[in-house]
Amino acid sequence: MPDECGRTFDESLLSGYVDRALVQSEDQRVRIHLEDCATCRSLVEELQALRGVSMSTSFKAPEDLQWSERPRSTASRASFRVGWMLIAIWIVAIAGQVAWSAWQAPLPTAGEVLALAGVLGLVLLFVGVLLDRITASRTDRYKEVDK
Amino acid sequence: MHHVDVAAVSDTTGSAQSPAADAPDAAGASLDPREAVAERYGRIAYVLALHLTGRPEDARDIAQEAMLRLFRHASGLRDRENPRAWLLTTVRNLTRDLWRRQRVRSDGAIDPETIAGELLAGGSGPEETFERREVRARVWRAIALLPGGKREILVLRDFHDLSYAEIARVLGIPAGTVMSRLHAARTALRAALKEGMTRA
Repeated sequence: MPDECGRTFDESLLSGYVDRALVQSEDQRVRIHLEDCATCRSLVEELQALRGVSMSTSFKAPEDLQWSERPRSTASRASFRVGWMLIAIWIVAIAGQVAWSAWQAPLPTAGEVLALAGVLGLVLLFVGVLLDRITASRTDRYKEVDK
Repeated sequence: MHHVDVAAVSDTTGSAQSPAADAPDAAGASLDPREAVAERYGRIAYVLALHLTGRPEDARDIAQEAMLRLFRHASGLRDRENPRAWLLTTVRNLTRDLWRRQRVRSDGAIDPETIAGELLAGGSGPEETFERREVRARVWRAIALLPGGKREILVLRDFHDLSYAEIARVLGIPAGTVMSRLHAARTALRAALKEGMTRA
């Protein structure tokens, strides 16, 4: 902005004028100057045009940019915990009962050992997946949010 | 689904909405009003994060985390507190956390083509001409090439339409310096566009 335009105020007031953010006295001062200064008037028009372009822009948003919270009240959390504890106790009791029966029974045949190994393998796979899920749920920042 | 906190945000939104928020959106038309509010705020967070990081995937993560925090704090926001300014402040803080973790420079230009690629066709309506789209893309490419501080204040004022007081709050600067910083950013943008036209 050339100094010879005769402006007696800071140039940034022109932005304030564009944004209608000036107090009345400043606004009046800028307005009077703009009546006589084609250079500043042109700058103001350009700033208004740039602002208009920015304001009329829309950006894409990712498709999964939607959130809502799950209803996890204290009661539901407590019931989940108690439920999991009961299931754990039940699994230990059943496993103990099965182990005790196996101990008391006569030696198993080769076929029974194979069947038992197969079942044990499946159980171990299940436990592995379960442990992974538990770890993932503990480190998931968005576990209480549906996306 | 439960949307209590989103509704709280909706109640305190007020009339000042981002232009992006008011943009026609076919998907938003069929949404529950509270989901529409969530999507609107998500977009607001995403656009600022995109212009701070320059990377859509980082912007998405930051927007998600900011929205999650907004949901959790919505009911605790003070009556006169503007949720949009609160959200954008959170986006800014999360971006700085990310930069600290990744040890990256924070004030450089970002890829203009990434930003141009994120522009929605028909920004001001379906009848928008090719020429207007080109002008818009040229302006946003030039904004992307500005230093981070200038880019940030331009996005806050000229895209999100925040008041000077809100900008001061989001940026953590005195209200009296907003006008001069904004003007410096606008004149830098104007110069960059003129330079681009001269080169072309």
